[in-house]
Amino acid sequence: MANKRNATTIVAILAVVVLLLWRPTVIIYGLQAAGLYATIAIPMGLILGIVHIVNLAHGEFMMLAAYATYMLCQSLGIDPYLAMIPVAIVTSAFGFLVYKLTIRQALKAPELNQLILTFGLGIAITQTMNLFFTSQTRKMSFGYVSASIDIGELSFGVYNFVFVGFAILMVIGLRLYLTKTTAGKAALAVGQNPKGAAIVGIDVDKTYGSVFAIATALVGMMGAVFITRSAVFPTVGSPFTMKSFCLVAMAGIGNIPGILGASVLLGISENFLKAFRSLRGWSDIVFFVLIITVILGRSIKGKKA
Amino acid sequence: MKNKTSYAIAAGIAVIMIAFPAFLGAYPLNVARSVMTYMALAISWDMLLRSGQISFGIAGLFGLGSYASALAVLRGGMDPFLSIVFAAVFAGVMAYALGFVVLRLRSMYFSITTLALMEIFRIIIHNLHDFSGGPEGVVLPGVIFKGSASALYWLCLGGLFITIGASYYFEKSKMHLALTAIRNDETSARSNGVDIFKYLLIAFVVTSTLQGMMGAIQVQSYGFTMPDTAFDGNFTLLPLAMALLGGVHSTIGPMAGAVLLGVSAEWLKLQIPYGHLVVYGIIIIIVILFMPQGIVGMVRKASRTGRRSGRKAGASNE
Repeated sequence: MANKRNATTIVAILAVVVLLLWRPTVIIYGLQAAGLYATIAIPMGLILGIVHIVNLAHGEFMMLAAYATYMLCQSLGIDPYLAMIPVAIVTSAFGFLVYKLTIRQALKAPELNQLILTFGLGIAITQTMNLFFTSQTRKMSFGYVSASIDIGELSFGVYNFVFVGFAILMVIGLRLYLTKTTAGKAALAVGQNPKGAAIVGIDVDKTYGSVFAIATALVGMMGAVFITRSAVFPTVGSPFTMKSFCLVAMAGIGNIPGILGASVLLGISENFLKAFRSLRGWSDIVFFVLIITVILGRSIKGKKA
Repeated sequence: MKNKTSYAIAAGIAVIMIAFPAFLGAYPLNVARSVMTYMALAISWDMLLRSGQISFGIAGLFGLGSYASALAVLRGGMDPFLSIVFAAVFAGVMAYALGFVVLRLRSMYFSITTLALMEIFRIIIHNLHDFSGGPEGVVLPGVIFKGSASALYWLCLGGLFITIGASYYFEKSKMHLALTAIRNDETSARSNGVDIFKYLLIAFVVTSTLQGMMGAIQVQSYGFTMPDTAFDGNFTLLPLAMALLGGVHSTIGPMAGAVLLGVSAEWLKLQIPYGHLVVYGIIIIIVILFMPQGIVGMVRKASRTGRRSGRKAGASNE
């Protein structure tokens, strides 16, 4: 086992070195994309690991937060980073409300009902936004986004490394929360065994609610950051739901730091295909092939064990 | 006695539906066609759901069928009508091959994988510029039956009747028992000798064939298609909402849901150009939370309790 892991690490390091020499931008942009994927996937991993619900409306929360940021910044003329905290609070309150009104009622229902429920939630949120804002894209531009660095002949944008920073901060913050604070430890216990946790006196319902609120707050923050680099439209969040689920499934449910590694793999392999002009259109397929491989691999491994 | 009347009613409705083109204009016929397409998809989705597997990939098989049919005509010079059969078989064969892998998965993993497969189909079609026309799609040399509105209607109705027939067969044959057993408890079904994989594969292949066929009928009736219309997520969303609203695990439920939602959607589309789909999302949420049995289930329940209380009022001894 240890040998196998060593071999995998060596192969991975070799691949990175080769890529660095041949096409450094693949690594750079791959890491930047990985940061974005990870920041959105980590909150989903939190919900899946503790509440055990696949929230198919996950990306929609980010989209909502991005719209909220857009409106706040347009009307007050402030920077999205200033709007981040209020938007996170609003998104979190909305997430908590959604949890209380809908998801909580379906916790005891079969898993498939929950899946269809959150699917319906996602559609309802997307289409409500479509109703109010139409499908027109909205964008804000900022000077600092186009900051770039030149190293020798290589020139690349550095702004997107912000996402890598946020991803690392999120992992550290959640780790501290889950292992050091009482509420976090309770959440971890509920995630492992809700019945047992209830027996020792943990309020399971309250824990679920707070986990949902924390996760949506994180997504809300990222929605505010997201709008600094991308245009928003009602369906902007949907692909992130799928990508997040893929990354969480790849890392293993409950393994939050693992999401970072999975994001790096996804980000770099996508950008690897984008490096070839003729293959650019195929880069989207990487992720879907990856998700199927991961799911199949896990199910086969699970059968053997 | 009761059975005989319900057969007579079904036959009567069928005759009226066949006769529709005689007294309806082009626009109502067009609406009827889209309702029937969604109805067939809703029924086929429900047929697989009876085994407990939720597919999010209806649009994938639908799009695959439409492209198989369009490309068979365009690149292979096939007869349009024959190409519909070809597309149905093609979707079935694809489902058979994929089924060996996909049907080993359960619950959310199955659902997510079907969704991912749909996206893979779409991206492949999107990128094979020379063969599939790429993002701009393909335009057929002509519409089947020279675009006669009544002929197109009958073609779609034929597809719907085949679907209803298959669903009815699923309900009345051994399939029903096997699929229900799998849905209720896989372990006990297996220990009672149900070949789970075989029945799942049959259900998956049959439903995919039906979805592919409806896709082919759609493309032949419109004469063009693009990746974004053939693999439109609405072909997954709408049938799902219709079946849920009407009541799952039956043939009549998805049909009732499709008529209700299909007709109201057509009206809403005119009222609210953007975001009329919000209604579908809300319906899914409400149905899951408050009426998991759907309309048909509720009606059935109400009639059952009504009969029971009626019997009590008649002071019968039980």
